[in-house]
Amino acid sequence: MIVLSVESSCDETSVSIVRDGKEVLSNIVLSQIDIHKAYGGVVPEIASREHIKGITMVFEEALKEANIDKTNIDLVAVTNGPGLIGSLLVGVNAAKAFAFSNDIEIIGVHHIAGHIYANQITAELEFPLICLVVSGGHTELILMKEHYDFQKLGETMDDAVGEAYDKVARTVGLGYPGGPIVDKLAQKGKPSYKMPNISLGNNYNFSFSGIKSHVINLVHNTKQRNEELVIEDLCASFQETVSEVLVTKSLKAIKEYNAKMFIIAGGVAANKGLRKKINKRITMVKVVVPEFRYCTDNAAMIGIAGYYQYLRNSSTDDMSLNGLSRMKMK
Amino acid sequence: MKKSLKRLLIDSATKYLYIALYEDLECLGKYYQSGNNDHSTKLMVEIERIFKLNNMKIADLDEIIIGIGPGSYTGLRIGVVVAKMFGWNNDITVKTISSLAMIASSYSGEELIVSEIDARRGNSFIGVFKNKGKGLFLAEEELLTNLEDYTNSLENPYKIVSNGEPNLERILNSNLLTEVKDIHSLNPNYLRITEAERNLK
Ligand SMILES: [Zn+2]
Repeated sequence: MIVLSVESSCDETSVSIVRDGKEVLSNIVLSQIDIHKAYGGVVPEIASREHIKGITMVFEEALKEANIDKTNIDLVAVTNGPGLIGSLLVGVNAAKAFAFSNDIEIIGVHHIAGHIYANQITAELEFPLICLVVSGGHTELILMKEHYDFQKLGETMDDAVGEAYDKVARTVGLGYPGGPIVDKLAQKGKPSYKMPNISLGNNYNFSFSGIKSHVINLVHNTKQRNEELVIEDLCASFQETVSEVLVTKSLKAIKEYNAKMFIIAGGVAANKGLRKKINKRITMVKVVVPEFRYCTDNAAMIGIAGYYQYLRNSSTDDMSLNGLSRMKMK
Repeated sequence: MKKSLKRLLIDSATKYLYIALYEDLECLGKYYQSGNNDHSTKLMVEIERIFKLNNMKIADLDEIIIGIGPGSYTGLRIGVVVAKMFGWNNDITVKTISSLAMIASSYSGEELIVSEIDARRGNSFIGVFKNKGKGLFLAEEELLTNLEDYTNSLENPYKIVSNGEPNLERILNSNLLTEVKDIHSLNPNYLRITEAERNLK
């Protein structure tokens, strides 16, 4: 089964062609990151304008690289939420128009399901599994007992982990996107700054606004006292505390639900400090991390999720399919 | 015998969504209604309905006419991206037209036609047109300004037109259509840069 997939929920315009939920025949990603850098974050209206600019070109390249004919496509899968509404609407309507023109069925796919299924490219998923979703918009622990069955165990009560990373980077003046820079500097530093306790007790929920404010105040006070701020150490301290809570809660879930596998998903899955800690601490189950290029937003992951969604539900959407800025995983 | 020309017209630049399928000057099906931020759910549903009704496929089209704004309405991009996809996927000729001209074409009077699309914060996108014979002509370059200030400056009789169902014959007899040479370059006409870009300067 060949799926053409479309992802445009934030600032990457992407089209991919995947065979049988596994083999990525093409995955074209047009990134807007350099455009948004000047603003220190994604500007929704600019993102929408860039999506429409690039969309047909990305379709064309994806088909060319996969070297398949449109008539061989069995299903169109498109991210229909959650995300920036203006961005989503470009991808959803392009996908609907493509599906209708070529007489192909279409399904809307949850963006986070896509991130989770990026792992299927690396290894066959085994159930039950625990998935840690960490990105600029999400921080969740999810239990999957079988394909396309998501049970949310816990989530962030305030900021997403990637959001906290970006805020810390901005406070220290490291530029955008901040996560990878903080990660890099953290490798060179020691966790010598005292950080607040962010464990939130014995449950699966997270909170990152406290540590974020703590870092902002710390930077402010250090500057006011004219003391030197060791940025590498600050990044290492922040990263250590954040990754510790993520891994600790993941371990708790793995044990409680007798998981066979642990996977991570989302942009922050590319974080080296987090990966290192996972590899060191989570040793009792199979650990799968997505390839770096499939951690950030891409359509291949949507094509794979779409394939499994179709296998499980065998239902498709119609031409009223809409983009939704907020959306539940089902 | 001359082959008939099948055309799809779309304009989604305002809260009114306009879709029409024509064979030469005969309308085979249409949709013209004020929506509530739901162009994204309506546009493809109505296109599907109209095409099924006529037992036609997108590939049967000879031409697409798309209103490309100006506008700040989120629905604008929905019509343009659908036209862009049809044009690219099926290699159909796409012609763009100002959505202000589409709106102006609904009016048949002799006066100056002040076509207007709300741009929020007291401003409007304005285009001034005039009917001449069977066609419609642009009398003033399109601009973004306060509607009242603008009309106060007009000396000749005028009629403000904010919505109305486009008239294909008048559009075809105008010089307001532009053929898209490279389909990848088809974009809405925003007429102004984003607020973020303005603030950056
Ligand atoms: Zn994402």
